[in-house]
Amino acid sequence: MKRVFSSITDGRGFDLVLVGVPFTFLLALSGLPLLYNILMSFQEVDMFSLGSVIRPFVGFKNYVDLFTQPETMSILRNTIVFVVGSITGQFLVGFALALFFWINFPGASWLRGLFLVSWVMPGLVVGAIWNWILSGDFGVLNFLLQQTGLMSGNIFWRSDPNFSLWAVILANIWLGTSFNMILLATGLAAIPADLYEAAEMDGANAWQRFWTITLPMMRSTIGAIIALGLIFTLQQFDLFAAITDGGPNNSSNVAQYWAWDLSFRQYDFGKGATISVIMTVFVMFAATVYVRSTRHEVRG
Amino acid sequence: MTHQIELSAVNKYYGAYHALKDIDLSIRKGSFVALVGPSGCGKSTLLRSLAGLETISSGDLVIAGKRMNGVPPRKRDLAMVFQSYALYPHMTVEQNLTYSLKINGVGKAERKRAAADVAAITGLSNLLHRYPRELSGGQRQRVAMSRAIIRNPQAFLFDEPLSNLDAALRVHMRKEIRALHDRLGATSVYVTHDQVEAMTMADHVVVMRNGVIEQQGRPLDLYDRPSNRFVAGFIGSPAMNFIPARSTPDGRALVLDLAEPQTIPFDCPLPAERALIVGIRPEHLTLTAADAAGFKVDVAAVETTGAVTFITTATTPEIVIALNGRSVVVAGETVRLTFSGAHVHLFDAETEQRLK
Repeated sequence: MKRVFSSITDGRGFDLVLVGVPFTFLLALSGLPLLYNILMSFQEVDMFSLGSVIRPFVGFKNYVDLFTQPETMSILRNTIVFVVGSITGQFLVGFALALFFWINFPGASWLRGLFLVSWVMPGLVVGAIWNWILSGDFGVLNFLLQQTGLMSGNIFWRSDPNFSLWAVILANIWLGTSFNMILLATGLAAIPADLYEAAEMDGANAWQRFWTITLPMMRSTIGAIIALGLIFTLQQFDLFAAITDGGPNNSSNVAQYWAWDLSFRQYDFGKGATISVIMTVFVMFAATVYVRSTRHEVRG
Repeated sequence: MTHQIELSAVNKYYGAYHALKDIDLSIRKGSFVALVGPSGCGKSTLLRSLAGLETISSGDLVIAGKRMNGVPPRKRDLAMVFQSYALYPHMTVEQNLTYSLKINGVGKAERKRAAADVAAITGLSNLLHRYPRELSGGQRQRVAMSRAIIRNPQAFLFDEPLSNLDAALRVHMRKEIRALHDRLGATSVYVTHDQVEAMTMADHVVVMRNGVIEQQGRPLDLYDRPSNRFVAGFIGSPAMNFIPARSTPDGRALVLDLAEPQTIPFDCPLPAERALIVGIRPEHLTLTAADAAGFKVDVAAVETTGAVTFITTATTPEIVIALNGRSVVVAGETVRLTFSGAHVHLFDAETEQRLK
């Protein structure tokens, strides 16, 4: 007993305790729900069997049913468009802003701090504001587009099936840009200044320095940011709830919103779990990219 | 005589701070020039101004016959070796070496050949495919040098390139850099805070302080005839001894201002009754017999390296004597010192400028 105690205060046991606490936490709050979710995707679950763990086993029926539903493919396609569109927009705008603030003009750090406001706001509030901006008859976006002569009639962003998904993407880009900007700015700041001086002495102009020094030195940051972006966009839920509610006619519905809709509005928990399992596969892929890119940091 | 780099009346301000004050400097083609001085003296600013990494506020900067004041670094055709080496961490040694060639559109085969040629000179041939993080400090240093050499530039600029190496490697690289300079027939400007590096490597030493060139010339000229007290104290190791003194009314003797004033005759005429600083190098002081001309001091410490013995006195200011071989003198003893008038440097006590 004494040996066990001394090992905990001063030895192997201490290491095991340190590892054990977060491990137990993760297992209980992430691992078990994940497994339970996978289990549910192979069961028939309805409101009356919700309380029990042992339920009728249906094999891949939920998966098969899901892919025979007519809306499935279009929703998965929407998900891909949403993820790619959001990440591309957030990354490009974020990188442009990070480079802009990197110039370090007077007030740069102060102004950069203000950009974080978008990240601090709750998604539902952001959604409400964008509802006004995107509004078909009195929205600012339509006003701007018409005044600049880019278009003549009103676009009903939220209710036109051709635009509804893009309305959410637009709001999501605005929401995620500052996070991208902050991480990219940190990556930029970590590049030693003398590398640029050496490249300048070696004859590289600003454009060449960007492509041969900045971008390759940012590789791990960019990898991490895109992986995190993928995870964050697949989590995005509030904006759909606030702006389009997945409609009209599923034109702006995406997997994560649909999973919630199936489980908690249609009470088809088995299918909801099935979609979640499919999404888990994508997120695991993103997590792998993230872990790998942070491991291969190129420094010094 | 062709001048590769010429600076005339160059000034540099950072806001109100005057970093370089009226710098005039001509660097001959093929020469090795060392800029030396304590930190904050402006030597690095001067080098970076040559490189174009800083812009000069006024004056003229001419490189290879062309006025370069506002020209960006990449168009000056100078190569720089940085203190931190500034190797590109995401590139192999070969890619580091050939970066400038690639930027200038040199073909792949030719780049490979150039890298191989330079690597053969600097001994990097079997490291070409490593990354900088896989190299030792000395090897990184060589890569930084090779990256400069491959360009065959108008001049090489070195910014304290050896300060990150250990003492033994530093002494070795000193010789290697100088040998490379001779072999390439290059023009080099070398910034260091280490006067030994400056003395041993350079043809022309420029001593700076507070943004001013205090003195420039051949290394031994600076050693033999420092033009003021600062240069006298900066060049030479161990440093020159400075003893406050006053000349006698007849100008034939010096009264040294030690604990008790001591008069010693001086064999060449002095300005009468003047406050002076006597500068005498440790190796130019000798022990003498008790009855000979000289001055008395108490010994505080005796250190020997085997080849040389250093005696430190208990006087204020402290005096250091360097004797060849060994000595029987022990701490606490009183000894008599003397020096030859030919070895004495006299500075005005007020202006600290050289009198003789």
